[in-house]
Amino acid sequence: MMSRLVILSANSLKGSGPFGAGLVHASRSLHTSSQSRAPVPPLPETGGKVRHGIFPEEIFQLLYPKTGVTGPYMLGTGLITYLLSKELYVINNETLSAICIFSVIIYGVKKFGPSVAAFADKLNEEKLAKAQEVKDLAMSGLTQAIENEKKEQWRVEGRAMLFDAKRNNVAMLLETNYRERLHMVTNEIKRRLDYQIALQHLNRRLEQEHMINWVEKSVIGSITPQQEKESIAKCIADLKMLAKNTQAKATV
Amino acid sequence: MTMNLFNQFLSPTFLGLPLIAIALMAPCLLYPSPAPWWQSNRWMTLQNWFIGSFIKQTLSPINTKGHSWALLLATLMVFLITLNTLGLLPYTFTPTTQLSLNMAFAVPLWLATVIMGFRNSPTHALGHLLPEGTPTPLVPILIIIESISLLIRPLALGVRLTANLTAGHLLIQLVSSAAFSLLLSQTTAASLAVGLLLLLTILEIAVAMIQAYVFVLLLSLYLQENV
Repeated sequence: MMSRLVILSANSLKGSGPFGAGLVHASRSLHTSSQSRAPVPPLPETGGKVRHGIFPEEIFQLLYPKTGVTGPYMLGTGLITYLLSKELYVINNETLSAICIFSVIIYGVKKFGPSVAAFADKLNEEKLAKAQEVKDLAMSGLTQAIENEKKEQWRVEGRAMLFDAKRNNVAMLLETNYRERLHMVTNEIKRRLDYQIALQHLNRRLEQEHMINWVEKSVIGSITPQQEKESIAKCIADLKMLAKNTQAKATV
Repeated sequence: MTMNLFNQFLSPTFLGLPLIAIALMAPCLLYPSPAPWWQSNRWMTLQNWFIGSFIKQTLSPINTKGHSWALLLATLMVFLITLNTLGLLPYTFTPTTQLSLNMAFAVPLWLATVIMGFRNSPTHALGHLLPEGTPTPLVPILIIIESISLLIRPLALGVRLTANLTAGHLLIQLVSSAAFSLLLSQTTAASLAVGLLLLLTILEIAVAMIQAYVFVLLLSLYLQENV
């Protein structure tokens, strides 16, 4: 794992540093290779496969044809035995502290590894989601713009109908206005004629009343006092007769 | 036996060539570097998140002028954490156990904060030497005490880190050698010592990270006072 890290770091440091630039860009500046930056090949989704956390799978694949499945394990055991028996590695107190620290590290990685990986993935997902949201917003905005444009085009087709409707409207308004004015004129004329009629009626009535008054006055003036007395006596005599008649009817 | 215990703190050499330069510069190769594509792998994301949240937390109480120290503090933190935690692996050399390294970090950075404080607002910086609300007869003594505490800060910073790490490494050595020597004759006592060693290892991992954090935190506090 650390060797791979070193390789990775060296790979990325390759472009930087005092002489790194020359290494990478030498072939590019001389245009000897047909290398181009685009399209960039897709990156691998997961890292290199490892067995037991540190040994790359490639070693196992390398040794498989010659030594089978147990080959690398035998190699490891043999190496360790060689180092211990020849005392190239001396077991001393540091070995104990090594066992302790490695057991703590392995326990920590096994216990917290998945959750830390999930956390890192979540951070990456959030970053990706933000970019995706921008892209989605842009796309939806553009589709909306296309729809709006289509609607505007449809509206343009209906423009003739709109003008016809407007024309009809205006014609109706004019017609209504004309009719109103006509009505107003007739009403005014009728009012004036009615006034004249009422005036004539008033005149006739006044004449009639005046004539009646004059006739009454002349009649009343022509009644002499002698005639008045005679009529009053006649009335009294009539009344007495009537009273006698009713009295006789009542007793009967 | 005593000679053996302190061999781990000798500056490493190989055939007379000092390896201290490699010991100081090699750990940075372990960290992922940014790739030219915009979405990085897990290591890079975690590293970014860690440095980002650490700097946000450390620099939030400091005003904008002190934010130019962000890169320095982040680098210092990552460097110290790396050196401390890598030193817990067997047969490694921890440069932060050397007083020279720690004082070389503490004195210039502390002095920088003090000089900045005295240059920008000398009255404010001198005012730190007298806490508020002290009774008048105590004022001269208190000023002397406060200035001594100010001058002792770099010493405390450096020696704190050195002492913690050296003590931890020494304890690990002692307990592991005790366990090793008892391993064959008195196995139960040895197993007790191994248990102690496990707990001590966990403590040392914590101490390694905490001490680095405390170093940087105290520096940020001195910066906050003076900027």
